[in-house]
Amino acid sequence: MVLLWQVLANGILLGGLYALMALGLALVWGVLNIVNLAHGAFIMLGAYVCYYLFALYHVDPFVALPAAMIALFVLGYTLQRFVLNLIIRAPMFNTLLVTFGFEVVLANLAQMFFSADYRTINPGYAGANFALFGATIPVARILTFATGLLLTAGLWFFLLKARLGRAIRATAQNLTAARLYGVETRHIYAITFGLGAALAGAAGDLYGVVSQINPYIGGSLTAKSFAICIIGGLQNPLGVVVGGIFLGIVESLTALYLGPTYTDVASFGILVLVLVFRPTGLLGRTT
Amino acid sequence: MNLLFRGFALATTLALLIAVPWVAPATVVQFGISTLMLATLAQGWSIIGGYTGYASFGGSVFYGLGSYGTAIAMIHYHLPFGIALIVGGLVAAIFAVLVGLPVLRLRGHYFAIATLALAQVVPAIVSNLDIAGRNIGLILPLVKNDALFYEAALGLLVATTVSIWYISRSRFGFGLMAIRENEDAAAAMGINTTRYKIQAFAIAAFFSALAGGIHAYWITFIDPGGEFDISLNVKMIIMAVFGGPGSVLGPIAGAFLLSGISEILSSKISSVASLFFGVVIVVAVVLMPHGIADLWRRYRKLGLRYFSENIRENRV
Repeated sequence: MVLLWQVLANGILLGGLYALMALGLALVWGVLNIVNLAHGAFIMLGAYVCYYLFALYHVDPFVALPAAMIALFVLGYTLQRFVLNLIIRAPMFNTLLVTFGFEVVLANLAQMFFSADYRTINPGYAGANFALFGATIPVARILTFATGLLLTAGLWFFLLKARLGRAIRATAQNLTAARLYGVETRHIYAITFGLGAALAGAAGDLYGVVSQINPYIGGSLTAKSFAICIIGGLQNPLGVVVGGIFLGIVESLTALYLGPTYTDVASFGILVLVLVFRPTGLLGRTT
Repeated sequence: MNLLFRGFALATTLALLIAVPWVAPATVVQFGISTLMLATLAQGWSIIGGYTGYASFGGSVFYGLGSYGTAIAMIHYHLPFGIALIVGGLVAAIFAVLVGLPVLRLRGHYFAIATLALAQVVPAIVSNLDIAGRNIGLILPLVKNDALFYEAALGLLVATTVSIWYISRSRFGFGLMAIRENEDAAAAMGINTTRYKIQAFAIAAFFSALAGGIHAYWITFIDPGGEFDISLNVKMIIMAVFGGPGSVLGPIAGAFLLSGISEILSSKISSVASLFFGVVIVVAVVLMPHGIADLWRRYRKLGLRYFSENIRENRV
């Protein structure tokens, strides 16, 4: 029983990070109708920003968070403004391919500059933990969990209240109408993609605290983020939180009862099932 | 006259390709085998992705099932290679039908993601199966005859291409193109879209699986990571898109050109070769989204304006 509670706690804590990972993908997907296959590569870059700031200047990963976000925002803004905007009206498959090209380029550049070695970020509190109803809760995990939820809530308020956030939602809802009201589409698209990348950067920064990183983690992280978006549904940011925690729990339970080699089978099996039987996501409205 | 010239050019190219193992050094023959396989995969993808317009990221699943099906039939059931190969192809085609029933109901991004998920799930399942040698893999009888494998791969590519040529002129092929252009309209015109899509998926699976089967026997040692290699999806898609999806010879041209360039690059500076792949995808999709086949046709008329018109068509 304690074991089950421990596994559930692990899953939930992992879920907060997963939610943040998927959030940027969901934002870009919902607003720009681009499924960004380079999302995982952005997460990977965010993790390396964190790693180098920590390894070279001893900057705490949670202090380095804004730096990772800004760096990735600039990258995302540039890529959308000068490349993706050129093909945004092409069939969806073309944007899929171009973002895939980004992923290949970024992963290979990362390998050239950062080497293929596994890296870990070990701040002083890496081993610290406390007990909660018999389960061991690592401090680093609870911090990443809280930061993930905080950023998700932050994005929600930004989209809901801020002027820029409203412009983004307007563009997503009706491009022509938004333009007529004076929204500068190219800029808004680039801002949105930049925000998605910044969230990926933040997720990468936190990912580096709880897991090992190398230049090739991007592909599977993109796939995971997808799964979370689909499971939760794209309608509101709460969806990715539900999807993230759901996936976190499923992975932990599968690892316990079926063995770690089955975690991918379980998560992607659920993805396929949700796609087929409930394509709007667990929270989505059925029409 | 034009037709005669084209026929002559095709026959000459084919004769030259057949002659390769007898005149070229061993490394070229080996490069030839993998290029021919990739061309077959690109052609297979073109049936579902190019003609039908369903962006599948699951080609590696069929390739892997074909190679595992062939290997298991040969090792555990002691079938001769030719029959084992067909068994592998049929396993993949049946799998495509079973999976296609639910998955081909999805459209657009959702289909792409579902197939991407399959490409992750199937190797994970295979690496847990005892009959497939789990994570360790399977060892096939050793046959050191690259010329034989080369001709087999070439024969498969020709068979695939002839089938696609035939499909592109058939009622079935026009049905697939109608689905690509507008699925609802195609259904309203009386096309059984579900059956057409599943057939296209199964045909694509069959040819990809045959390539996998030949690869398994050639390489003699197979494991889940190598045979279900997810980067294969990328390669076949890029080659098909670069060449011109939905044209009969485009994907072959794409496969030959890209394999050639990447081989030359990787012999010079190996780390740059895959980087180059990424750059080519981005540049090709932005500047020539309809592939080499379209570039070939329209560049002569438009010149450099061809590229700017492509961009103007799609930018915001």
